[in-house]
Amino acid sequence: MKFKELTFKDQHTERIYKDYISRVKNSVKSLNSDNQNETLLEINSHIYEALQAPAENETTDLLNVLQKLGSPEHFLKELVPEKKLEEAASSFNPLKILKALILNFGNGFSYIVFFILYVLLAGFIFMIYSKIVNPEQTGFFYTNATSWVLGISKNYNPHEKELLGNWFIPVMILLTILFYVVITLLLRFKKKFLKK
Amino acid sequence: MNEEYKNKWISQLKKGTLPFIVLSVLRRNTYYGYDLINEIKKLTDIVIAEGTLYPLLVRLKNENLVSHSWVEQESGIPRKYYQITEEGKNTLNAMKDYWTYINNTIQSI
Repeated sequence: MKFKELTFKDQHTERIYKDYISRVKNSVKSLNSDNQNETLLEINSHIYEALQAPAENETTDLLNVLQKLGSPEHFLKELVPEKKLEEAASSFNPLKILKALILNFGNGFSYIVFFILYVLLAGFIFMIYSKIVNPEQTGFFYTNATSWVLGISKNYNPHEKELLGNWFIPVMILLTILFYVVITLLLRFKKKFLKK
Repeated sequence: MNEEYKNKWISQLKKGTLPFIVLSVLRRNTYYGYDLINEIKKLTDIVIAEGTLYPLLVRLKNENLVSHSWVEQESGIPRKYYQITEEGKNTLNAMKDYWTYINNTIQSI
């Protein structure tokens, strides 16, 4: 569906309208193009419908409608995180997911848990890099059941055994993929798993 | 009486009951945003900053309590109609039960 600009007889009224629409566009530009368009269409429809019962002159009517709607920077601030979450849940794009999680920190503890899982995932990727540049000190070091290190061990001692060897990088890749799929699916089915 | 405190409390209460009111109104009929605001105004004395209704509708949609469909208009400005889902109706029933419970509790204190 295409956005159709409203037209006004008075050019000052038109300027007020265009200024408001451009503020709406600015407030939602972090969303994908479909959601940007949908928000714009809905706000435009609200303005159009509200102007169908003229009370005073065109300018005053428009100003009243826009005043009642409120500042787009203010009310769209709440809408953007909600839409972002919807976008993240329907894609596997890690940047989108990360942005949505940060925007939703205030909306519940579950998002902080998701963020921590995401940081762990980044840790696995870092381990792969570390194994390549620093193979001796990176690995899964095991001394006994209570003392083991997954990562970089600077206090390498003869009692410590590295268990994964050449399997370290494949295992890290596997963990990364596993965490990634689990986080994304959990986010997608959040409504069923974690009630806010 | 502390008028200021009372007013703050009323405003919080109204804000908290808004999703409940939106779902109740949508159970009666399907509405587009502006129409829904007018219906809420007609049925209650709640004055809302109209823009705040839209994030609430997105939240209700993300929770699968309402769905929407765009309907083209002759004017070329389409309307986005909202309808309550089955899950929305069931949730609303549970909310109504709780509302009755809390009302009875308050009456009995």
